Amino acid sequence: MTYILQLVTAGLAVGSVYALIAIGIVLIYKCSGVVNFAQGAFVMMGAYLTFAASRLGLPPVLAVTLALVLMAGIGVLAERVVLRPMLKAPVVAVMMVTLGMLIMIRASCLAVWGPDPLAFPRIFPDGALELFGVFITYNYLTAGVLSILLSLGFLGFYRFTAVGLMQRCAADNPRAALAIGIHTSNQVSLAWAMSAGLAGVGGTLLATLNGLSLGLADIGLIAFPVIVLGGLTSLGGALVAGLLLGLLQSFTDGLLSPMIEDLLRAHTRIYSVGALQQVVPYALLVAVLLLRPQGIFGRKGSERL
Amino acid sequence: MALEARGVTIRFGGVVAVNGLDLDVRQGEIVALIGPNGAGKTTFINCVSGAYVPQSGRVTWKGGDILGLTPNALGQRGVSRTFQNVASLHDLTVLDIVRLGRSLGRGRTERRSLGLFTTRDPLAEELTETLLAPLGLADARHRPIQMLSYGHRKAVDLARAIAAEPELLLLDEPVAGLSSREAHELADVIRGVRERHGCTILMVEHKMDVVNRTCDRIVVMAAGSRIFDGSSDEVQVDPEVRRVYLGEP
Repeated sequence: MTYILQLVTAGLAVGSVYALIAIGIVLIYKCSGVVNFAQGAFVMMGAYLTFAASRLGLPPVLAVTLALVLMAGIGVLAERVVLRPMLKAPVVAVMMVTLGMLIMIRASCLAVWGPDPLAFPRIFPDGALELFGVFITYNYLTAGVLSILLSLGFLGFYRFTAVGLMQRCAADNPRAALAIGIHTSNQVSLAWAMSAGLAGVGGTLLATLNGLSLGLADIGLIAFPVIVLGGLTSLGGALVAGLLLGLLQSFTDGLLSPMIEDLLRAHTRIYSVGALQQVVPYALLVAVLLLRPQGIFGRKGSERL
Repeated sequence: MALEARGVTIRFGGVVAVNGLDLDVRQGEIVALIGPNGAGKTTFINCVSGAYVPQSGRVTWKGGDILGLTPNALGQRGVSRTFQNVASLHDLTVLDIVRLGRSLGRGRTERRSLGLFTTRDPLAEELTETLLAPLGLADARHRPIQMLSYGHRKAVDLARAIAAEPELLLLDEPVAGLSSREAHELADVIRGVRERHGCTILMVEHKMDVVNRTCDRIVVMAAGSRIFDGSSDEVQVDPEVRRVYLGEP
């Protein structure tokens, strides 16, 4: 039982970071109709910027805040300079441009910080908390709690503030929003700023868990099964799906993989199933697309990938 | 003159939708713009509200040129409008729509600086109650707008426009889709808005009983031009209006 709880806490911690990143993708999609493949690059860059700010001697809170602000600026820049001129371009062209941004940002980080993983500065205290016999490291605990709080805070902002209301209207029907006086282009820029800022914080949290490397950008690929599962237009769905996927990966890694390996060892010459937990999100993605294309919380018929 | 239009002309290809229209509305006046389908009424409202930019002419509001201003900029000058066709909005509730009006109105900056940044807005709730209760929608405040009938959605759109506390209110068939009783209720609300806020109202409407109940003056358009400007008593006996509307020789 303790082992199961251990898997649950680890799954929720990682899943909450997935959710935070996926919420950013959903937000951009809702507001501008762009499927942003560069979100993983924003995640990675946010972590590198926090790293750089820490190296300058800034305390962790300031380093993360500075990275968040810089990432928000990069998000606005990406929208205004790269995406806005492509307003009437075909969807595929826009997707290719976001892929190009991913490659460019990754190459820039490679040029500045090199290809090797870096020791990420300690942001949260060492040690672990024991709760009902389950040990949760402060890293996991803080990353999970912070991600969930940020996600909920963001959903609250979207739901209860006047700006959030304008964002929802602009996302729902941009032409109607423009007609009643909402400055829709500003709302799109704001969405990119918030999305990139969230990604930057998510990247920092992931780096505290897994270390800092260019591989952080791959998280963008995991975020896509999350948004497909949650429904491409549902922010709440992204949160729930992120947590679900984190749990699923954790249980696959901790329970399913060893069970399958035992079975295979007993009957075949295969000894390992490799990193099965990395396959699970995409298997789930295929299953969701086949059975419920609109995702768990998406509106039927509104968006089908 | 509060609202003044001079020589407004707009063409779509070879069709002249509005043809050199002159129109004046005094401060605090409610003017109805009526006419047969295709007369150019909505097109003119669209020109005033920034949706279309006419090829020629001038529109001023309180002396300032407003032609070509975006709806956002017009909102800051106290101009608000409703639409003939209410757009599809899946995610917003009735109260959300009214709150949007409050957020976009002229007083928005002051409201934010006073810490009323959130959508918890007593006035929006009061407006929802005042405007929608007579339509039996008092309990519908948290219902998605998409679930309402066409007429009720238009009433919510009116509530949004009024919630902005405008000085100039442009209404495009505000009671379309409502029953006779509901239309009269809403007509009284529109008059109440003028009495309460002193705002100027220009209204496109087909239902003559509502026009007579609400408006101080009537302007009749046909084929993009103004053919009559006067009171509701005069309009009924005007030979040109009778010819256009009733086909009388």
